[in-house]
Amino acid sequence: MIVGAVGVITLKQPVHAALSLVGTLLTLATVYVGLEAHFLASIQVIVYAGAIMVLFLFVIMLLNVQQDPGPGAFTWIRPLAYTLAGLVGIALLVAVTSDPRPLPDAAVIQSTMDGGSPSAIGTALFSDFVLAFQLVGVLLLTGIIGAVSLVERKAASHAPDASTPQEQPLETVGS
Amino acid sequence: MVPTEYYIALSAIIFTIGALGVLTRRSAIMIFLSVELMLNAANLALVAYARHWSIAGAAVALSGQAAVFIILAIAAAEVAVGLGILVAIFRYRNSSDVDSLAGIKL
Repeated sequence: MIVGAVGVITLKQPVHAALSLVGTLLTLATVYVGLEAHFLASIQVIVYAGAIMVLFLFVIMLLNVQQDPGPGAFTWIRPLAYTLAGLVGIALLVAVTSDPRPLPDAAVIQSTMDGGSPSAIGTALFSDFVLAFQLVGVLLLTGIIGAVSLVERKAASHAPDASTPQEQPLETVGS
Repeated sequence: MVPTEYYIALSAIIFTIGALGVLTRRSAIMIFLSVELMLNAANLALVAYARHWSIAGAAVALSGQAAVFIILAIAAAEVAVGLGILVAIFRYRNSSDVDSLAGIKL
């Protein structure tokens, strides 16, 4: 999984990087199965590795994106980024491994999570998260309208207007 | 069972790799891919902590997985709009280099 993630940011061809991301997402789905989240694992495969990555590959092939041009105006940003990433990575690893806490018993996990089944997640989704669920519906509708109006050729002059309504429902869901 | 710390460490590594990609790549598509990597790292942390807190009851534990479900929907919307913007920009500029967009005004 880490190999796939490294491939995403190091491979030069965008198509190769996208396929590497597909591999990473599929591995993540298997990790979800190990974490008692079976429904999320299937959703991960269908939505992420299926729909979203197909969209990515479509756009990459539609735009005929060439190879990454390499460092341009900001040549100083690469060593800085690598140093920062190393420092942050070490700090995060130290932080998450320094304070180990025991997991609850396997039986408790099994009975509580119910294997992450659709009915269990649906109960949580439609009781505590009803507002977020509705707002996600609004967000998806706005996203569809925005994307279509952005890509439509005649509506190109309205492109900046179409992207701004995205902000409002996103913030509401986040809070 | 695998301890939660290992999953969180994996999530931290993936998130750092994604952030590194955002900082170092110039093509807008590659930056998008790296952002997807970061989103998935956050999802992994949420799912790992959902299992960790299963002692607190189903309502608390499954709220983590429900949040991941909502994040997935938001990621789908974000990708659709972002790629739409990318296609619109590419049509005008004929390049996906983010440095060439420095003077853009919305």
